[in-house]
Amino acid sequence: METRKIEILVGVFVAATIVALVFLALRVASNTDITRGSSYTLSASFDNIGGLKVRSPVKIGGVTVGRVTNIYLEGDYYEPVVEMQISTTYDQIPETSTVSVLTSGLLGEQYLGIEPGFIDEGIMMLENGDRFMNSNSAMVLEELIGQFLFSQGDN
Amino acid sequence: MDVIANLGRSSLNILRGMGAALIMLLQSIIGKPQPRKSFPLFMRQMYVVGVQSMLIILISGLFIGMVLGLQGYTILVDFGAEQALGPMVALSLLRELGPVVTALLFAGRAGSALTAEIGLMRATEQLSSLEMMAVDPLRRVVSPRFWAGFISMPMLALLFTAVGILGGYFVGVQWLGVDDGAFWSVMQASVDWRDDVMNGVIKSLVFAFVVTWIALYKGYTAEPTSEGISAATTSTVVTGSLAVLGFDFVLTAIMFS
Amino acid sequence: MYDQKGCTVDNLVELKDVYFNRGNTVIYEGVNLQVPRGKITAIMGPSGCGKTTMLRLIGGQLKPRSGSVDFAGHQVPELSRGELYELRKRMSMLFQSGALFTDMSVSDNVAFPILEHTKLPREIVDTIVKMKLQAVGLRGAGGLQPDELSGGMARRAALARAIALDPELIMYDEPFTGQDPISMGMIVKLIRSLNQTLGLTSIIVSHDIHETMGIADHVAIIANKQVVAQGPPQALLDHESALVRQFLNGEPDGPVPFHYQANNYLDDLMARGG
Ligand SMILES: Nc1ncnc2c1ncn2[C@@H]1O[C@H](COP(=O)(O)OP(=O)(O)O)[C@@H](O)[C@H]1O
Ligand SMILES: [Mg+2]
Repeated sequence: METRKIEILVGVFVAATIVALVFLALRVASNTDITRGSSYTLSASFDNIGGLKVRSPVKIGGVTVGRVTNIYLEGDYYEPVVEMQISTTYDQIPETSTVSVLTSGLLGEQYLGIEPGFIDEGIMMLENGDRFMNSNSAMVLEELIGQFLFSQGDN
Repeated sequence: MDVIANLGRSSLNILRGMGAALIMLLQSIIGKPQPRKSFPLFMRQMYVVGVQSMLIILISGLFIGMVLGLQGYTILVDFGAEQALGPMVALSLLRELGPVVTALLFAGRAGSALTAEIGLMRATEQLSSLEMMAVDPLRRVVSPRFWAGFISMPMLALLFTAVGILGGYFVGVQWLGVDDGAFWSVMQASVDWRDDVMNGVIKSLVFAFVVTWIALYKGYTAEPTSEGISAATTSTVVTGSLAVLGFDFVLTAIMFS
Repeated sequence: MYDQKGCTVDNLVELKDVYFNRGNTVIYEGVNLQVPRGKITAIMGPSGCGKTTMLRLIGGQLKPRSGSVDFAGHQVPELSRGELYELRKRMSMLFQSGALFTDMSVSDNVAFPILEHTKLPREIVDTIVKMKLQAVGLRGAGGLQPDELSGGMARRAALARAIALDPELIMYDEPFTGQDPISMGMIVKLIRSLNQTLGLTSIIVSHDIHETMGIADHVAIIANKQVVAQGPPQALLDHESALVRQFLNGEPDGPVPFHYQANNYLDDLMARGG
């Protein structure tokens, strides 16, 4: 009887822990990590990546399709290059597509947005290891203000 | 010269103590498992160490989560960033407060009880008596308590974290009016299963190991007098808590930098 | 002494020339002790002289610095851990405090060594437990928890546990200390009847001269880090050593002085005054 009571209470303890774990998995953590399944790697070079970080999301039309996996500088002019993993579910991105560093909201986190390009004969789809040909750099607030003042001066 | 000699002597003593503690631990957990005999003992300790600590863990978790919700809101609302309340509450609980506060409470609640119990068994000759009955007290008394502590503390930390997030949710969303959908979705966007949840679990496994080990060793080597037992109990809480905070710094530096 | 008188004595336990230290404190310097098989041997001596230590040496919980501790032909200090544990199944010890496991009922305490060391089915174990409890007069108390027992009952329950596996040797550490006269009488009777009915060899550690001398067949007296005398109780009562006589007759002054070493009393008083 004593043993039975102990077993039941330990059972309750274990069950409660499982509930907590499921809650953390489904409600709290990003359970659908897009790069968990099979994925392929693309890269893009920018003039300026702003506040982009490793693990920042990559989105098409607001839907997350991958994550930034690596950021480094390349060549004599130290051009920033961003590597990203994209889920193989989305493997029909044409080489004419444009990738931009975007900001969610006014002060929110930065992410990569892919704008799919036109598809035509002779246009290839991007494959593992390919690089985007068109990219838009991050908008840096100071530069924007500078440009704005400059154009005001022109008028 | 005396100072250096003293330093040398106390370092040697500390090393000797750690060696003895390691030997005790190895002797109690190494050996051929006897599931039929050890499982009921383990269950009993899961009850004593785990189930009996649940209430204090759940209540503390709830309150700490509620305080986080309140404090976080008052700070974030000034920047118009109260949407970030969800990740703030979740990340601080998952990465730090869940494992650390659980370990500290565990050292005070279960650790001190383990030390006192084993110290008392030594003082009343129950351990000697086991030895004379050809039963190894390390396998019989220390081992089930070690496993129960090592397993139940991470479980308690998960409960603490989950309840804490709910506490933050009640205060932030239900009381202060942060948007319900934003609270969860922004949280999901910034909490990562492996980096945040799993690292928290790893932390609490390390804390569980250290605190349980300290508690058992202090009890096993307590002077068999009432002063000896009370000193050992105090020492478990002090040493255990300091060890948790020290390891927390090291682990945080490794994991999150 | 009496094994030198030519009697053929079969000893279950024999200590020869044992030296033992606790840190820097010397406890024994060349102790010799014989425990005849099937008899009740008493070890007596003032508190702190190392009587409990002697039992722990026999049980292998402590190792002597040098000398031999022989139990039924085995050198206890030289045994491996496994061999020692095997040997301990043949002996048992009744600790000073009883040492009942506080988280088990009395019955479970008695069943514990049986369940640990045999594969008997539960019903048979329960029967044995009842028999052992009946032997100490506690069959009705099997369901109680150890903290519900009086001091005398706790010691008897511990005795039932100690005889659970029918050991060859049973060691009693101060079984009479702190007992009222009635339970003292019960324990004396139990020790004697267990020894006779089960053919046990018993060692009693005690400083209660009256009770111990009454039931012992063989007495050893420890003083000054040695066994100063051993033999049948009658032979010791008129032993040539003044120390032995002082101890056995409970005289307050003698070779063990009443006064702790001090300088001259009068000088001491005068020094304070001046
Ligand atoms: N664990 C220990 N550590 C150090 N000294 C001890 C320990 N146990 C006993 N002693 C010392 O050994 C001596 C003998 O102890 P013991 O055998 O318990 O005496 P007693 O004859 O009263 O049973 C005592 O002087 C005691 O102070
Ligand atoms: Mg003693």
